[in-house]
Amino acid sequence: MSKYLPKQSELVKEFEEKPGVLKGDYAKSEWWETPLEFREGNFCFPAKPEVLEELGFPNPRKWAPTDDDWKLPDGWQKTVMDGMKERLKKYRSLKLYLDSCMRCGACADKCHYFLGTGDPKNMPVLRAELVRSVYRNDFPLVEKILKGFSGSRKLTPEVLKEWHMYFYQCTECRRCSVFCPLGIDTAEITIMVREILQLVGLNNNWTLAPVANCNRTGNHLGIEPHTFVQNIESLVDDIEDLTGVTVNPTFNRKGAEILFITPSGDVFGDPGVYTMMGYLLLFHHIGLDYTISTYASEGGNFGLFTSNDMMKKLNAKMYHEARRLGVKWILGGECGHMWRVVHQYMNTMNGPADFLEEPVSPVTGTKFTNAKATKMVHIAEFTADLIHNQKLRLDPRRNDHLRTTFHDSCNVARGMGMFEEPRYVLNKVCNSFHEMAENTIREQTFCCGSGSGINAEEYMEMRMKGGFPRADAVRRVKEKHKVDSLVTICAIDRATLPPLMRYWTPGVSVYGLHELVGNALVMEGEKKRTEDLREEPMAGFEDGDDDEE
Amino acid sequence: MSTTLEKAIRERREEIVSLWRGKVFDRLSDKISPGTPIGDAFVEGMAMILDGFASGDGSLRREGVTTVARILAVHPFRPSHALSMFVDLKTVLLETVPGGEEGAECVRRIDETTLEAFDSFMEHRETIYRLKVEESQKRMHMQLRGKRS
Ligand code: SF4
Ligand code: SF4
Repeated sequence: MSKYLPKQSELVKEFEEKPGVLKGDYAKSEWWETPLEFREGNFCFPAKPEVLEELGFPNPRKWAPTDDDWKLPDGWQKTVMDGMKERLKKYRSLKLYLDSCMRCGACADKCHYFLGTGDPKNMPVLRAELVRSVYRNDFPLVEKILKGFSGSRKLTPEVLKEWHMYFYQCTECRRCSVFCPLGIDTAEITIMVREILQLVGLNNNWTLAPVANCNRTGNHLGIEPHTFVQNIESLVDDIEDLTGVTVNPTFNRKGAEILFITPSGDVFGDPGVYTMMGYLLLFHHIGLDYTISTYASEGGNFGLFTSNDMMKKLNAKMYHEARRLGVKWILGGECGHMWRVVHQYMNTMNGPADFLEEPVSPVTGTKFTNAKATKMVHIAEFTADLIHNQKLRLDPRRNDHLRTTFHDSCNVARGMGMFEEPRYVLNKVCNSFHEMAENTIREQTFCCGSGSGINAEEYMEMRMKGGFPRADAVRRVKEKHKVDSLVTICAIDRATLPPLMRYWTPGVSVYGLHELVGNALVMEGEKKRTEDLREEPMAGFEDGDDDEE
Repeated sequence: MSTTLEKAIRERREEIVSLWRGKVFDRLSDKISPGTPIGDAFVEGMAMILDGFASGDGSLRREGVTTVARILAVHPFRPSHALSMFVDLKTVLLETVPGGEEGAECVRRIDETTLEAFDSFMEHRETIYRLKVEESQKRMHMQLRGKRS
C-alpha cells in the first residue's frame, strides 16, 4: 500500500472534524458543487482575441476567468455536446476510458497536482468524473447502463468553469495511468476536454500564442529565419571563445544526410542554449553531415495541448522539410512532448515517410530499427550508441564541478519508454550521479508541474504546488548526496525546473544532458579548457593546473 | 529558554507534535493534506521547530520555520490564517508545559518565532513574484540575444 495513503484513523478524524465535501457545509450537495474560486495565481491568461483570429479559432473576445460572465457563444451547450459526441465516436480510447473506470481509487494519490494542492478534484478519478458526470446525464443509454453508480448533472456555465480550472491543472503527464489496473489514461481525457473547450473559446494564451507563432513562422516565438540563424551563430561564437574550435552548422542545405530538429527553447532559452552548444560540439566532433531547417525550426508542438488537428498541422513541417531538403532521416533533440507526438502519432498522422530511409548511424553503422516507421531518432539514443561504440573522446572529469541527478521527463519516460539511454550517457560524461527515490523516477517519474502548456508566469503559485513532489525528491537526494545539478532531456523542463528549484530546493541548477556531453568532449584543436559551457570554472582545470590527459 | 522548559518539551514531544498537528491540519487540510508529500514535509518542518525549541538550537528552529513558511506561501492563505499555526502551538505548549516564569519565557519565544515566520512567509511570497518577473525578463533577453551579431 502506498505510504502516501492517509491512515484510517486520520480519515476518520478528518471526516468527523473537518468541514468538507462529504458532510458539513455541503451535506445536501453533490461533490461537484463545492465552490470554485478563480483568483490570481490559479489561472493562465486566456488567449488574446487577435491570436484566435489569426488561427481562425472560435469566439475571440476579451475575458478573464475571474469575470462572472465568460461571454460564451450562442448555443454553446449544443456546441459542447456535439463536440463530445463527435469525439466519443472518433476516439475509441475516450469512450473506453469514460465507460470503464470502476472507481477503485488506485490513481487517487498518484497525481502531483493532487499531492501538491490537496484538492480532491485533482485526483485523476474525480478529474475524469467532472466530465463523466455530464456524459452520463446527456447520453441516456450510458446512464441506463451505469445506473447505480453516482449521479449525473447538466451542462451549465459553472461546469465549464470547473472543466477549465481542473483540466488545466492536469499536465497530461500520464502518471496516474501507470497505477490504474485498467490502464485508463486521464491525460487522454484532458486532451479531449481541452479540445472541446477550445470550441467555445475557453483556452490559454501561453499555449495558443506559440501555436499561432508556429503556424506562421515554424517556431513558438515567431522568430523569422534570419533571426533563428543569427541566434545559432551567436552560439557558434560562444563555442569558439570557450574552446577555440569553430563549428559549422549549415541551414536549409539540400542533400545533407540528416535533418536536425530540436525545440526552439534550445536556441532561445536559458539554459537551453547550452544544450544546443553541446549538440553543435558533438556534431562537429563526429563530422556529421547534417543541416538545420529555418522553417522546421521547432520540435515542440503545442498543438498537442490544443487539438489533434492543430497538432497534425504543426507537425507536418518536419516531413515537409525532410522531403524538400532531400535528407535520409531526421535526428531529434532533447524534448518531452515533441517525442510523444513523434513517437506515438507522427507516423500515422503525417506519414508514412517512405521518401526517407530507415535511420542508420553514419558513424557506427547501427540501424535504429525502432525508428523504422517514423525515420526520426532521439539524440540520447544516437549519442549512447556513439559512446557504446567508443566513437567519442570524453573526459568526464570536466564535469567534476557538478554532482548530478536525473529527472525523467514524463513524455520521454511514459510516452516512449526511454529510461536507460540518458542514464548511460550521463554516467559516461560525469563522475557524480545519484538517483532520486525509486517511486519518483523512470515510469513513476513526477512531472515538473508546468508541462502541457501551462508554464505561464501568472500561474507560478499553481506550478510551484504541482511541482512540489518532484522538487521534494530532488531535495532529498540533495541532502543525502550533496547533489547540485538536475539533468533533464526536455526543453520545457529546462524552462520550468529552474524556478521550481529556486523556490523549493535552492542551490540546485538545471542542465540539459548534451550540455554535459559538450563539457566532456575533447575536441580536436581545442584550446585549454578551464570553463564549462556556462563559463563556470571546471574543478581541477583552473588556470595553471595541468592535469588534463 | 530554561532547561526545565526544554526538558518538559522533550519529554512530551510526541504528545505536543500530535496535538499541534491535529489543530493545524484542522485549519489547513483543504489545502495541505496529511499523508501527502507536501503534508509530510510540513510535519517535518513543524517537528524541526519544536525540536529547535526543545534543544535551544536556533538554526534548526529557523530551518523549520522556513520549511513551513515556504509551503504556506504557495497556498492562497492570508498571512494571518497561515500564521495561526503558531497561536495553536502557544495553546498546546501552555497546556502541556509548566506555567509561571517558564510559561512567560515560552510565550516570548513563540512570539519571536511567529515574527520570524511572518518574515519568511512574506519573503517567499516575494520570491514567487520575483520568479514571475524574472521569467518574463529572461525570455525577453534571450529573444534579443540573437540581435547582437
Ligand atoms: S495525467 Fe498526470 S496531471 Fe493528469 S490526472 Fe493523471 S497524474 Fe494528474
Ligand atoms: S485507477 Fe483506473 S479504474 Fe481505478 S479509479 Fe483510477 S481511473 Fe478508475
